[in-house]
Amino acid sequence: MASIMLRRAEVLAKIDAGFPTSPIFLTLGGTAREMLAMAGRKPNQLVNLDAMGQTVSIALGMAVGLEGRAHGERVIAIEGDGSLIMGLSVMSTVGHLAPRNLVVFVLDNGVYLATGGQPTAARDMDFAAVALASGWAGARDVRTPAELDDALAWSTDAPGPLLVRVFITTDQIPTDFFLEDPAILAEDFRRWLQHEDAS
Amino acid sequence: MSDEQARLDGLLASRSAAVIEGIERIDPDHILHLASSTLKLVLDHFITGPGADGRRVFAMPREEEGVAVTAGLELVGRRPLMIFQDNGIGNLLTILQTFPQPYHIPLFGIVTRRGGLGEYNSMIHTISERSESIVDAAGVRYFQLDARTPLEYWASEIQRAWTFSRTTHRPIFMLVNLMGG
Repeated sequence: MASIMLRRAEVLAKIDAGFPTSPIFLTLGGTAREMLAMAGRKPNQLVNLDAMGQTVSIALGMAVGLEGRAHGERVIAIEGDGSLIMGLSVMSTVGHLAPRNLVVFVLDNGVYLATGGQPTAARDMDFAAVALASGWAGARDVRTPAELDDALAWSTDAPGPLLVRVFITTDQIPTDFFLEDPAILAEDFRRWLQHEDAS
Repeated sequence: MSDEQARLDGLLASRSAAVIEGIERIDPDHILHLASSTLKLVLDHFITGPGADGRRVFAMPREEEGVAVTAGLELVGRRPLMIFQDNGIGNLLTILQTFPQPYHIPLFGIVTRRGGLGEYNSMIHTISERSESIVDAAGVRYFQLDARTPLEYWASEIQRAWTFSRTTHRPIFMLVNLMGG
């Protein structure tokens, strides 16, 4: 097995570049802050500020709701390993509803980094196997930059739902706190969707 | 069957029909439901009956996941509705207070009552009869339908509560008693 060499901030920058016009729903904590630091505030990106364990579920609702709409060709969820395990039942719901537009990136550093690095149970879990056994259309693990590039190309075109588990280091970049009013975040996102609908 | 049992069965049937009518007036495009014995007539209508036509109806494993998926649907402009029992209210408080409530996302839930007169479970009242206190403490707005509201108004009250969730940009629950009382 290759050693882990990918850093979260670099992975986030690549996801941002790979899906510049897709709805992206970001899990909380450092993931959201690092995306903001790397990509800036984007109208297509909505931050989950505190609903830990439910990032994929919310993105699932968005994906199901956007199926068949032009800007809903891909709906991206960026989740962490600890948060995904908190709401693991969604794996079966995604497989059951099977939205072809949903892509879930699980950035797996093996710890709850935001709260001090306590280990999660992820190292003993095979998320890709769980996804495939639950009816997802595809799933793969990513450990290297080349595998990440391949996975990004694959997740742009392949019918979903797709899960990409990206093994990352625990490195963090310096970031500011993100203190925006959540009502404004939601409204900005809705207005972006409405504008996309109208254009 | 005793006369009393027939009366209660009739009550369940007529109140369930009123709830179905209220939901049909809203005309949701997605219905998310949790397991419930008292909701059987309502769920049958939407899962296998005429209410299944033209909409997506699916089960949720947990109330918190249901709120999350419903909120995601609302965010992108759909008309979802969630149906669950009051003993699941505790499961959804965190997601409710960390996503739809602070993000000002309208969300509507039909919540059936358990633990009252006619209850057959010896334990469920310990959570169910505290439902109002729990949602009050959480600052969640709700309305109630039971014997105090004439049955002919139930459907319109359900529709008005759904509209109120849009008007006020927040989750609204309608607590409905299908068991009598």
